[in-house]
Amino acid sequence: MKNSIRSMLVTASALLVAAACTDPTVAPKSTVSSANIFAEESSYKSFLAKIYGGLALSGQQGPSGNSDISGLDEGFSQYLRLWWQMEELPTDEAAVAWNDGPIQELNTQIWAASNSFLGSMYYRIYFQVSMVNEFLRETTPEKLASRNTSAATTAAVKTYRAEARFLRAFSYWNAMDLFGPVPLVKETDVLGTEPPAQATRAAVYDYVVSELNAVRNDLPAAGTAQYGRVDQGAVAMLLAKVYLNAAVYSGSPHYDLALAEAQKVIAGPYTLDPNFQRIFAADNNLSPEMIFAIEQDGNNIQTWGGMTFIIHAEVGANMNAGAFGIDGGWWGIRTKPSLAALYPNSGGPTSPDKRGRYLTTDGFSGSMTNLTDYTTGIGVTKYTNATSTGAPGKNSTFVDTDYPVFRLADAYLIYAECVVRGAGGTRAQALAYINALRDRAYGNTSGRIADAAMTSQFVLDERGRELFWEATRRTDLIRYGLYSTAGVWQWKGNTLAGRVTEAFRDLYPLPASELVANPKLKQNTGY
Amino acid sequence: MWRTGVVALFAAICVSEPALAQTRITGSVTAGDGSGAVVGAEVTVSGTKRGAITRDDGRFNIDVAAGTYKLIAKRIGYAPDSQSVTIGMGKTVSVDFTLKIVAAQLGGIVITGYGQKDVRDRTGVAETIKEKNFQLGKITSPEQLIQGKVPGVQVVTSNEPGAGISMRIRGGTSINASNEPLFVVDGVPLPVGGGVSSGRNPMNFLNPADIQSITVLKDASAAAIYGSRGANGVILITTKSGVQGASSVSYSSSYSSSQIVKKPDMLNAAQFRAAVTQYAPENVKNLGNANTDWIGAITHTGAGAENNLSMAGSKDDMRYRLSVGSMTQNGIVIGSSTRRESLGLTYSDLLMNDKLDVRVNLKGSRALDTYAAGGMGAATAMAPTQPLKNPDGTWYQWVDWLGANNPLADQAMISDQGSTYRSVGNLEAKYTLPWVEGLSATLRTGFDFTQASRVTFSPSNAQFDIEGGRGGRIDKNNPRQINNVLEAFATYNRKMEDLASSFDMTGGYSYEGSRGDYPSYYAEGLSTNLLGANGVPGAKVEQNYLNIDESKLISFFGRLNWTLKDRYLLTASVRRDGSSRFGPGNQWGVFPAFAGAWRVIDEPFMQKFTMLSDLKLRASWGINGNQSFGNYLFLSSYTSGDNKAMYQFGNELVTTIRPSAVDPNIKWEQTASSNFGIDFGFYNNRVTGTIDLYSKTTKDLIFTVPVPAGTNLSNYVTTNIGSMKNSGFELGLSAVILEGKSSGVRWDGTLSASHNANKIISVSASGADKILVGGISGGVGNTIQVLEAGFPKNSFLVFRHKTGADGKPVTGNKTDLELYVDQNKDGAITQDDKVPYKSPDPTWIIGHTSNFSWKNWDASLTARMHLGQYTYNNVASTLGTYRALTGTNAPSNLQSSVLKYGFTSTQYFSDLYIEKASFLRLDNISVGYTFKNAWELKSLRLYGTIQNVFTSTKYTGVDPMAGVNGIDNNLYPLSRTFTTGLSVGF
Repeated sequence: MKNSIRSMLVTASALLVAAACTDPTVAPKSTVSSANIFAEESSYKSFLAKIYGGLALSGQQGPSGNSDISGLDEGFSQYLRLWWQMEELPTDEAAVAWNDGPIQELNTQIWAASNSFLGSMYYRIYFQVSMVNEFLRETTPEKLASRNTSAATTAAVKTYRAEARFLRAFSYWNAMDLFGPVPLVKETDVLGTEPPAQATRAAVYDYVVSELNAVRNDLPAAGTAQYGRVDQGAVAMLLAKVYLNAAVYSGSPHYDLALAEAQKVIAGPYTLDPNFQRIFAADNNLSPEMIFAIEQDGNNIQTWGGMTFIIHAEVGANMNAGAFGIDGGWWGIRTKPSLAALYPNSGGPTSPDKRGRYLTTDGFSGSMTNLTDYTTGIGVTKYTNATSTGAPGKNSTFVDTDYPVFRLADAYLIYAECVVRGAGGTRAQALAYINALRDRAYGNTSGRIADAAMTSQFVLDERGRELFWEATRRTDLIRYGLYSTAGVWQWKGNTLAGRVTEAFRDLYPLPASELVANPKLKQNTGY
Repeated sequence: MWRTGVVALFAAICVSEPALAQTRITGSVTAGDGSGAVVGAEVTVSGTKRGAITRDDGRFNIDVAAGTYKLIAKRIGYAPDSQSVTIGMGKTVSVDFTLKIVAAQLGGIVITGYGQKDVRDRTGVAETIKEKNFQLGKITSPEQLIQGKVPGVQVVTSNEPGAGISMRIRGGTSINASNEPLFVVDGVPLPVGGGVSSGRNPMNFLNPADIQSITVLKDASAAAIYGSRGANGVILITTKSGVQGASSVSYSSSYSSSQIVKKPDMLNAAQFRAAVTQYAPENVKNLGNANTDWIGAITHTGAGAENNLSMAGSKDDMRYRLSVGSMTQNGIVIGSSTRRESLGLTYSDLLMNDKLDVRVNLKGSRALDTYAAGGMGAATAMAPTQPLKNPDGTWYQWVDWLGANNPLADQAMISDQGSTYRSVGNLEAKYTLPWVEGLSATLRTGFDFTQASRVTFSPSNAQFDIEGGRGGRIDKNNPRQINNVLEAFATYNRKMEDLASSFDMTGGYSYEGSRGDYPSYYAEGLSTNLLGANGVPGAKVEQNYLNIDESKLISFFGRLNWTLKDRYLLTASVRRDGSSRFGPGNQWGVFPAFAGAWRVIDEPFMQKFTMLSDLKLRASWGINGNQSFGNYLFLSSYTSGDNKAMYQFGNELVTTIRPSAVDPNIKWEQTASSNFGIDFGFYNNRVTGTIDLYSKTTKDLIFTVPVPAGTNLSNYVTTNIGSMKNSGFELGLSAVILEGKSSGVRWDGTLSASHNANKIISVSASGADKILVGGISGGVGNTIQVLEAGFPKNSFLVFRHKTGADGKPVTGNKTDLELYVDQNKDGAITQDDKVPYKSPDPTWIIGHTSNFSWKNWDASLTARMHLGQYTYNNVASTLGTYRALTGTNAPSNLQSSVLKYGFTSTQYFSDLYIEKASFLRLDNISVGYTFKNAWELKSLRLYGTIQNVFTSTKYTGVDPMAGVNGIDNNLYPLSRTFTTGLSVGF
């Protein structure tokens, strides 16, 4: 009997134990959730830094290891790197020698919609957009009030929100420029899986313009923001570039508006850097010409994309990597003879136009006879991880050199182009701006041109010389109608001599994977 | 919280009073072939209604009045036996039966989850391999023991010492979650993949010499009792326990030696020089005059030793076993090795009038793995024209930093070692409840504790550190994991004569908690090299990380076995699992299974078929789950950037934070399987066999899939989408091929054959998409495989070569358009011209084991064959191109396929690199001699084994087995191992 009682007790206690543990929920220990992250007010700034960092980094672990997006190698999928490649590789300015994934398709304008590089750019853009949307949702005045946010933080967040919206407009500008008609996802759209509807390219254009105008007055005056952050100078510059291409984006040209915005930039506190090399060197954060830069830092802002890619990939052959402040070249990107021909003597060490001295045939063949052999083509030495005085950057793998997104010279050239296109302004002023750039390039007045020489084609060529390898060539050529159906350079259309391609190549295809994920999308014509 | 409960429970159990003296017959039933306890044998007292069924350990108790009785023990498959016994009032008499097996191979038990069964009564597909049938030779981890032994089980090893092992039971059921089976050691489930380790294989903690049997649960019915973790099958490992009788000591010792049989096929110095001269003349100036065999320089004969000592015995009802073991194995690459010291203790006792059966199992081990720095990667890439050392005695290095580093220099300078301390143990108490006959309750508590450390040290003068200006590095990872298990279940056995039925019910509760701490430390720019890996006196850069991971799994389970007329068998089981891996609303999953069997042979009408000795039909259906992926996937969290991923506002560096993209509704993967099987035996079971047909469909596959851009916080979200099907066929045959009664020659053989076909049904909601997978080395972001509806998972996605006039594929220095078929005829070779072609999983796996014996001699061999297996030879595709000679001033050596194909640029996606990797391998042959009654020893056996005797394959890489997922980057040479050893019993 006693045994029975004890047995029942044992069974009962076993059941009790069982009953006591029926909740499988586990609260994470090493993770912060949306419920408590903003208990620390510095989180707002950290979130904003993430949005800026989205252009400069590839994830939460530098240089790689915790990527923001998946599907492609993290370094390859970095925003700046992809943007730069998509603006440069299909043009006469650059070609990459590697065989990574379908990257060769970018050199030759034969890409397929399944190309993972193109897809990754699309996803980088929407990663930025969704970060901004989430930031805006989390920083409404109501939410700030509900969290008893301090007055100082509340005030700061107002500017943060304007900056975030600027950065969203910036990415939508990239989106409509590269892909054309894309969905407009805004902070009012809730997170979920409902696929967003496709907007026309003109609708995206209108949205970018309206957003930039809306945030302008919430931002500091031109040239007064902290370095690395945007202000009204950046707004005017982005608007100038958007209006400049308005005919492409929306069907109606707005050169007059582009000219007006360029004037606002020029009226700002920016000046041409007397030391041209500094704009592309490890200390370019000190350049008075810089309007907006994507920051890099050898120790604290590390990525395998961005400027780390551009500088390492341009170095190879007989170049001395140490002189570039790096530990070795990647033998990747170089340029083509047709671009070199824009410079006097086709560039090289004897070019009177110092901008052409960034080109070298030492160890290179000149003609790009083999796309995947780096030494065929013409070497480029424009960007460096050494400072303007020759000192190496902090880290020989990851560079200190920031990427010049907007700089004053571009505003001069936009002004000149708008004048030449008859959109107002004066030819004398335009000529003065052009010659200011050429005086700096030649080191004296010998490079000046006369008014008669200032043709539309001249401005395009001058953009090629001045803004060489600054991620604007593809957009410029399309605006001039010289990208696909006209204009020939080596390997365009996948032949050594080059050939014209179909007009639909002016737009990249929407990613094949996105068409599946979002059935509301219609592929761009031709793909 | 449950700990208190356990303590209370044991307090309750242990405060026991002496029971009233009873008149009792107690004893055990064991099998005549030495295979151990006979479970479920019926022991009756003739002329009375008293009797008992033997328990898991073969023991029984019958309470009777004083007197003389005839005791009868019966079990199907054994010859009945009877003994006479006289018992006095209040006495206990012990009667042990040894039953002779009448049907060969049929005897023995199959371990099931939370119980065991006789083979004849099994309904699901479970197969137990016992020690005597294990693989022989140098075995470092438990999985190797059953390699080639069980149909439908694929065991893939690599060639490094103690290397990690992949197992696939009936093909993998998942894409993103683990495809490894669940391992259960003595009732304690191990974490996915066997646990945490700083060594090559977490399972190495368990000394194979301590293992008694390994059971593979293959179908849904057998595995259903493990619910959410059973989808990939379950491997139950039972370790040796104490034996009845006086203390005995066993000692075994073996020595082994491994030699290279195949290594990467690289150019020699003369071929290399010729290639550079022709294809990279600009680099001739960089070549040296040496003739160096780099692979030869970093390899040697791998020596190994193993010693095991165990002591086992019993006193009254107490049994024990103690074991210590040590194992070392040096890899054939100098500097790679593995080593283990292990301890084992098992103890069992019957307390409280034999009503309480207490068992304790403790295993502890230390594994030390050293990794060769530099190693084969550098040795294959290093140009054979370059010398080992410079004339001044320093290590040779390329001047160009893009060149491979001298592997000998790295071996000499860099240290990389992992140590893993691990203990797994459990305490089990089974109480036979007195007030209901046939009812018992079991409480099992278990733990699995691991403390590991992996430390890499590289001095400032190592080439990598010189090139990167890093100034010496230390990288230290110290994972620690503890898992707790508490299980309480009751079983009830009832025989109902009037219904001609017997019932066996099990129901219970299980709790598992896991916590892992993952601290890591990194330092760079060390102030001195002198302390090596042992200290950091100061460093320019120091980084610390800590991550803590916790999870819980709570389950309720039940199973009913119903046997009608001893020949109609039915099993129904269900498990309800609650997992912390899912969000509210999705935490709980229910996993049911049913199985039935019909012992046709036991029907009266079968008696005329005298040739047939066994015939059973089986059918089962069930649902298993899979939750083997990361924690917190459902939870929206913020991730802070590290100090290398900051952003700068003015002069202020700002830490970034990123919200994560999640699907809060993520839930279990579910695999529904059905199985139909036949067990048969001929000629008094001299030939027995099993045939199974199965089909497994996994739905709600957890995929990381693209979401419409902008709708979530990243472009991919991990969610339940897609489905996949595995179907196949398995055959197991075993036979006594030769039984020369007079000559004493005996030959037993087994043959297993299995066929599995995998097909992706869908990978996205729309059913049309494909997902690129299978990252390869070479280039960045390149993938070689695809998940696409209608094709087997991980099908290769490649360009097809055009066929030349000679009927062979077009190769050589040509453009893509000349080499490859332009599938969409758009005039250019793009991504869209890649097509699915072949898949990595073997379509057939065939295994054979033969055992021979003659007088004191024994011999065995095991062979294995994979058919229809394809592998991407990534070594050839990256190193088999003349392009590797250019682009730097340090040309890399080439893989010899370049001589055949003549590619001057890399052709990663050429279908030529998808090679047929079918093979036939003689896994081992072994010969032994047993001295009988020698030198007053209980036993003495000497043996010799050769492992990996030969491999026959057309595959050109080092080892056709190298990649379970079909991508072969293996450079580690294939070796043949010779082992000699002895085992002694005292």
